[in-house]
Amino acid sequence: MEILRNTFDFSDCPRSGLVLAGIVGLFFLCFPLFPHSSFAMSTLIQFFMFSLFAMGWNTIGGYGGQVDLGMAQFLGIGAYTTAVMIIRWNTPFWITLPIGVLLAVLWSFVIGYPLFRLKGHYFAIASIAASLVLKDIFDVWDFVGASRGLEIPTTRFSSPDFLHLIFTQDVYYYYIMFAFFLIGFLFINHFRKSRLAFQLRSIKSNEEVARSLGINVQWAKMKTYAIATSFVGAVGCFHACYIKNIETEDTMGLDISILIALMAMLGGMGSLWGPIVGAGILIPLKSYLKEWLGATAGLVGIDLVIYAAIIMFISALEPRGIWGLVGRLGSRKTA
Amino acid sequence: MKKACSALSVFALVLAMAFMAAEVCRAAETIKIGVLYPLTGGAAAEGRELRAGAELAADIANNVMPIDMDMAKRGGVPSIGGAKIELVFKDHEGNPTLGADLAKKLILDDKVVGILGCYHSAVTKTVSAVCEQYGIPMINDSSTSPALTQRDFKWFWRTTPHDVTFTRDLFELFKGLSEGKVKGVPAVKKDQMIRLASACEKTEWGSQVSETIEAMAKNNGFVVGKSLLYAAKSADLSSEVRSLKSAKPDALLFACYASDAILMVKTLKAQKVSAKIIWGQNAGFEVPEFRSTLGEDVVGILTRTVFSPQVAQVKKAAGQVNALYITKYNHDLSGASARAFTGVQTWVEVLQKAGSTKPDAIQAAANAITIPGDQLIVPWAGIKFAPEGADRGQNVMGSGIIGQYQKNKEGKIVLEIIYPFDLATANMIYPFKSF
Amino acid sequence: MDILAGSVAAGLLIGLVFALVALGLTIIFGMMDIVNFAHGEFLMIGMYTALLTSQTTGIDPLAALPVAALVGFLLGVCCYFGFVKYLLRGPMVAQLLGTFGLMLLLRNLALLFFGSEDRTIHEGLLVGQSFEIGMGIVIPATKLAAAVLAVVAFVGTWLLMNRTKLGRAMTATALNRQGARYMGISTERMNALAWGIGGATVTVAGALLVNFWSVTPFVGLLFTMIAFAIVALGGFGSVPGAFFAGLLVGLITEIPGFWDFFAYITGSSWMSGISMTPFKYTWVYLAYFLIMIFRPRGLFGWKS
Repeated sequence: MEILRNTFDFSDCPRSGLVLAGIVGLFFLCFPLFPHSSFAMSTLIQFFMFSLFAMGWNTIGGYGGQVDLGMAQFLGIGAYTTAVMIIRWNTPFWITLPIGVLLAVLWSFVIGYPLFRLKGHYFAIASIAASLVLKDIFDVWDFVGASRGLEIPTTRFSSPDFLHLIFTQDVYYYYIMFAFFLIGFLFINHFRKSRLAFQLRSIKSNEEVARSLGINVQWAKMKTYAIATSFVGAVGCFHACYIKNIETEDTMGLDISILIALMAMLGGMGSLWGPIVGAGILIPLKSYLKEWLGATAGLVGIDLVIYAAIIMFISALEPRGIWGLVGRLGSRKTA
Repeated sequence: MKKACSALSVFALVLAMAFMAAEVCRAAETIKIGVLYPLTGGAAAEGRELRAGAELAADIANNVMPIDMDMAKRGGVPSIGGAKIELVFKDHEGNPTLGADLAKKLILDDKVVGILGCYHSAVTKTVSAVCEQYGIPMINDSSTSPALTQRDFKWFWRTTPHDVTFTRDLFELFKGLSEGKVKGVPAVKKDQMIRLASACEKTEWGSQVSETIEAMAKNNGFVVGKSLLYAAKSADLSSEVRSLKSAKPDALLFACYASDAILMVKTLKAQKVSAKIIWGQNAGFEVPEFRSTLGEDVVGILTRTVFSPQVAQVKKAAGQVNALYITKYNHDLSGASARAFTGVQTWVEVLQKAGSTKPDAIQAAANAITIPGDQLIVPWAGIKFAPEGADRGQNVMGSGIIGQYQKNKEGKIVLEIIYPFDLATANMIYPFKSF
Repeated sequence: MDILAGSVAAGLLIGLVFALVALGLTIIFGMMDIVNFAHGEFLMIGMYTALLTSQTTGIDPLAALPVAALVGFLLGVCCYFGFVKYLLRGPMVAQLLGTFGLMLLLRNLALLFFGSEDRTIHEGLLVGQSFEIGMGIVIPATKLAAAVLAVVAFVGTWLLMNRTKLGRAMTATALNRQGARYMGISTERMNALAWGIGGATVTVAGALLVNFWSVTPFVGLLFTMIAFAIVALGGFGSVPGAFFAGLLVGLITEIPGFWDFFAYITGSSWMSGISMTPFKYTWVYLAYFLIMIFRPRGLFGWKS
């Protein structure tokens, strides 16, 4: 009961903000009813996916202050697990999901144990290194299709197939991802008030002090890493069914890891809304800028130039991200 | 309070932008065909060629021109009220996921009648899966992985021959060498040409080529000393080249896209690695950049292709189209642009036969169509798709040629035909002079 | 035998260039304990500078070295005064974020201006030339020149740091910031100088590399990783450590060649059947990972 109350308790958020969030949520719920382009739909699905990635990243990166730049490896583990199981054994998606998450978490323990002996930059670079090593292995491993990748044959299933999550209409994916999104969001709301989150904040501000308070620093980090990777792994499983073509460059490449970290950093590390705001800004702008500027005017990369400038700006002035910037402006006004 | 309010409103505003559903206006008299090509990225050089070839074909189809080709005399598609062809180009950057995404967008938002593309076999794989899912016809002009037509797809047709055909040509050439059939080369003893080494790019296309070479080498009694897969994006191939050298091959076989093909030959030269035969599986080995940047170094290199200006001697239309292409782009048609041209041409002929833009009509027309060889600019017997079977949707009348870069009398580097032996336009340079 | 000798030679030559790549990173780290994520992007800019200079003016790419050095120096100094100075005040996470942002900015600006196509130098005095030095070893002239010039640049920087007054002031700042300030050294200017020198050395390395590597806007990350591996192996902040670790990492990237050699002398077919070339950088990442975990002070342990 206590857990449930905690999960649905938003009393520390301002009411007007909650009302607005409710309206936005309602809009998401009704969106497919309005006429829309498939482009807007896939952009929104991506927004949900990346919000979840960023939320997961935010637990270890934001609350824990451990900047991980290798999240794509867990996305890859989830995606490959689902793809391999559906292609080879026709396993229903809902069985591959827990297995994929489990494998991602297990891998997070394997690399987390040595990784969390490192700090700061060393940790960040080591996480990239780990991710690249795994990618190189997947690139030659025939069981997972090597560099050629895996393709889930859509012709084998008749859409809509809720068991294997193969649909022709994106609207099904939309609602499933929306449900994932709500569950993830509520979980983070629970997490941020948990004992673990408080331990993490104390580790982030000063690890020595945290240790002297009797916190098992290594274990706390590893537990959080497991949470983060289960988020990424779960969405990875979904990614396999949604994209249907899994290959290392797209699922495990460094660009994905960077994008995930970027969203949480941009929105605001260590806050409930930050990752969602980050993804909400980054994903639509990315796809639309690419569509308008990239393809027609040849301005490839302009989107990331803008984000990079914002990132540099906020890191020099306001490390709490856009959310922190907004908070500072707000408090200055009221003060 | 205020801060949360303002933040969320900013957020909502940004999201609202995403929903501005761009409703597509549909012009009545044009038939839209979505064309997916790699216009930027590592294969941009091929992308330019492909686009130029496709645009030229659309131009010829939409206007009346003095070319010996049915398409050039119609000025549109008469069976659909003289509708013009409109090509909607999208750039997939060689990225399969992006390609699938764009295909979806073309089908659902732009409401294209069909798809043409995509060059990279890996991209064609995902795009054809999307087309199959939505029941939209796709004609593939330039992807040669055999696996693409082995999936029993109902909405996928391929005009170009695939790599099994092309690789078989190579082994026929080897056989011809040992039997003394090659023009200008006395018979070569079989044990002089036995060790092969291959380096292929590592996605769908290259992996397939590598497997095909290995299988055929085994069947024909050759030894594959080394077969490497490498990333086409590699900035440095020196350890790959050294590894090839360690196999001490008689023939070096490659499957490279544009920029890596150039890098590969440069590295071969810098490491002084060569073999009696250097053969490239099309793509990077025949884009105009390949010979313009490498200059004299390409003399003696073999590549399989489907077009050479020499084809004009056999086919009148090829010469006329090539002349038109030269006036527009200042160089000869290449295998890529010729195939893109043929892809658009096939689309036009299929639409003409179908008499409708409905997918079912197009499907029936594509399965029944026969385009005679004299209509084509490529040296094929014609275009006719296998309606079923193990190679469903594959053009059964296609064939390849093997060309060799040679210097002609004026000192210009041209691609001479070496195989098929009866079409050969020059003596083969054998063995390859070392760098 | 020629396989082994060829691989060792190639590994050592490229290792010398790698050492120069890592030098800037280790200098900056030694001065102000900040790790520059954008290091590889500086290198990429060096590559583009040399390439474009030689293509627009028609001079040999090697003659473009001073231009690259100047661009790198200015870039480093500008980055310091315009950006890094503010970062240094913030917490560690902000520093990490900041240089990460700088990396993205430079990479995507390059993408915006130069496009995603690979570019290569095709003309030049040494391009395409190579020497055969016996035992079947072929050494491309561009690589040899790059290695020699990398050593010259490396030694020059080392002399600058150790034999000049300016260098000693820098060392003093690195050792004791407070003390240096009391001695009348402007630590601010020293920091900027470290960024300038760091930038210049790495852009020079880029200008050397572009003679035989193709360049895209995404080439930087590989070198950031290599530089990190070298700095970790050699010990953070250690200049001689970077030199020897560079050679070692150069040899590590040649593991595929050694594999081929062992396959050849043992004659084992399963070994020659497996190609190690897809893993040529995997070993570098793995080396970084292992070194950081088991010996964070670096393999040579000059300075922690």
